[in-house]
Amino acid sequence: MRYGFYIGICLFLLIIQTAIFPYIPVMRGMYDLLIPFVIFISICLPIRESLPFALVLGLIMDNLSGSPFGFYLTFYFWLFMGVRFIIKFLRVSNKFFLSVVVIVAALVENILMIAIFAFLGPVRQLPINAFPVITQQFLWVLAAGPIFLLSLLALAKRLNIQWDGAAPPPNAYG
Amino acid sequence: MFSKKMFLIVGVIILITVNVILLSFSSKSQSTFGLGRVGLSLVSPFQELVTRSIRFARDIWEHYFSLVSVAHENENLKKSLNQFVAKSNQWHEIDLANARLRNLLNFQKAPTNKVVAAEVIGKDPSGWFKTIIIDKGKSDGLKKGLSVVLPAGIVGQVIETTSHYSKVMLVIDRNSAVDALVQRSRARGIIKGESADQCRFEFVLRKHDVQIGDTVIASGLDGVYPKGLRIGRVADISQRNADIFYEIAVAPFVDYEKLEEVLVIIPPQTPEVSR
Repeated sequence: MRYGFYIGICLFLLIIQTAIFPYIPVMRGMYDLLIPFVIFISICLPIRESLPFALVLGLIMDNLSGSPFGFYLTFYFWLFMGVRFIIKFLRVSNKFFLSVVVIVAALVENILMIAIFAFLGPVRQLPINAFPVITQQFLWVLAAGPIFLLSLLALAKRLNIQWDGAAPPPNAYG
Repeated sequence: MFSKKMFLIVGVIILITVNVILLSFSSKSQSTFGLGRVGLSLVSPFQELVTRSIRFARDIWEHYFSLVSVAHENENLKKSLNQFVAKSNQWHEIDLANARLRNLLNFQKAPTNKVVAAEVIGKDPSGWFKTIIIDKGKSDGLKKGLSVVLPAGIVGQVIETTSHYSKVMLVIDRNSAVDALVQRSRARGIIKGESADQCRFEFVLRKHDVQIGDTVIASGLDGVYPKGLRIGRVADISQRNADIFYEIAVAPFVDYEKLEEVLVIIPPQTPEVSR
């Protein structure tokens, strides 16, 4: 049941990012929807289950995107490890904390991408559309990122998904 | 001697360094270390299912609920068709004359390319890159490096294939480069992707004649795109005093936001020359 939920969510997010949103003009500037999901599994699942999941998601995103191979694999790995490190010191049940993590993660992903363009790419030059792309993604993640993560947690709670991860069970989030 | 914390810090630094080196290598070489097909094979069937369902619903709407504008559009299309039939006849005459003249000069007939039609089933999830997924792969004769086109112009190049799906890098992607020339003056340069509605035409010497409105076509010299395929129209030209090249912006002919079907050109296999 639990693994079916995770795989279903992953497929849903991948499909809407690649087969639906690109055809809706206002949605083309959407941030990476898998960021809240990686944060969700890093909080709520044991590392032996969630880390391979995050790595496989990164591999799939690298395959579907034209980004340098390994970018999403690397980013999701460090996002996962970063969140697990932070939750040792901060209360996970704090909704404000979760919101900030999602927003910061989306910004860091874009900054890393720009750093790759500027320092590692074949043409060391900032993209001409860097500012509009980052602005659109930032506005989307501000508006929808925290809501999406909290919805994932609420949905998991409604489906009575059993947790044995690093964080308190979902009813702690209210 | 060394604490656990020290080992952890050193391990993280080494891991970050290895990450940066691998990303640097893959961003320059476009290599996927053999793992580029896994995601395509897993996700593309679902992409195809969703895309076909959406198009089916949209087609029903357009066919049965939008008939009001269809009659008017039909009239306009008939007029355009009549004009193009006349032009087609002129071109046919020119084509025949060309064949006669080439025959006189004993030119060998170039082998014709095979064309495979494919449907776009997915697009790049990132806003930074411009790639599409199509529903044809190795089983249909596709392989890495093939050119993807439309009657309007060049679309891109196949960069990854699985048995039934392929990933195509569009001409407007930052990593794309097409050897091109101005159709009128034959000034040569490289078309590089920049954004959804613009490419840069680089390394065009300022001694050449280039004007706004000129058509840019593929030169065929990069071995990827057949010669003569349209790319775009010169939209803007600027010249810096200290530079020997123009800075040219080219507006592509193809509308990359509305790609649904594309054509993949499969060149004929050249027979090996025995020594």
